[in-house]
Amino acid sequence: MKGLAKGLTYTLKNMTREKATYHYPEEPLPLPDRFRGIQKFYPEKCIVCNQCVNICPTDCITLTGKKHPDPERKGRIIETYNINFEICILCDLCTEVCPTEAIVMTNNFELAEYSRDEFFKDLQWLDENDTNIRKEN
Amino acid sequence: MAMNLEDITPEQRKELEQNVFFITLERLKAWARSNSLWPLTFGLACCAIEMMGTGSAHYDLDRFGSFFRPSPRQSDVMIVSGTVTKKMAPVLRRLYDQMPEPKYVIAMGSCATAGGPYVRSYAVVKGVDQIVPVDVYIPGCPPNPAALIYGIHKLQEKIRYEAKTGKRVILNDN
Repeated sequence: MKGLAKGLTYTLKNMTREKATYHYPEEPLPLPDRFRGIQKFYPEKCIVCNQCVNICPTDCITLTGKKHPDPERKGRIIETYNINFEICILCDLCTEVCPTEAIVMTNNFELAEYSRDEFFKDLQWLDENDTNIRKEN
Repeated sequence: MAMNLEDITPEQRKELEQNVFFITLERLKAWARSNSLWPLTFGLACCAIEMMGTGSAHYDLDRFGSFFRPSPRQSDVMIVSGTVTKKMAPVLRRLYDQMPEPKYVIAMGSCATAGGPYVRSYAVVKGVDQIVPVDVYIPGCPPNPAALIYGIHKLQEKIRYEAKTGKRVILNDN
């Protein structure tokens, strides 16, 4: 009898406990500071140093640059920048090596698509992806 | 809801008599199907850990009517979560064939979508769509449980959309 009461006390205590389930589709999910979603790219910050291309473990980044249109200024500016998000493993290395923080991570993870072609993210898409940018990069 | 039946031309009337009821029935079927997507437990690699996480208390896939089934004969959707090696490919195809119609496939993670980090490997299938038709692709390595929930919602939307319009889910470029 005492054992039963003991067990029931535990059960009843847990019944009033706060639910562990996240109400994800109704409410946004609380994400940690270093969460890795999809990248955001700032074309004006990029100096075409190619470091992100070199470090990418799956070679999913491709970029081309061109000479600065102003002849007095040195350096290059970005022309195309593509991430093949099919094989991107979100290792965060591209954002770590970037000297000007032209490429940063966002917290956007809702990326499911009906077609594989949609995962080819180009410069325009990555530039417009400017929501939920991670605070520390 | 009043309908002005006089304005309907004979051709339109013919159409209406043929279709309206069945479209409603299709939508009802799609509603039922989309709210009881029973996934086949097809964990192959680390994505399976996230899939298990989706099934357990914090994310609770049961809220959406999805219960993991251990048998292909009881399931509607196959969540391919993980690297599909060439040795595994025939088994995957067989399990897909054993599932009763209607059946759907979700490719979860980079490996199932396109090979992911093993894209240069000789032993890995470069995307599960080479073996079975895939409905929804979820990128990420691995996608977090919420992303999987989003993918399942996307599949539910697809089922309802296809029943509602009778068209395939359109892609942006065509």
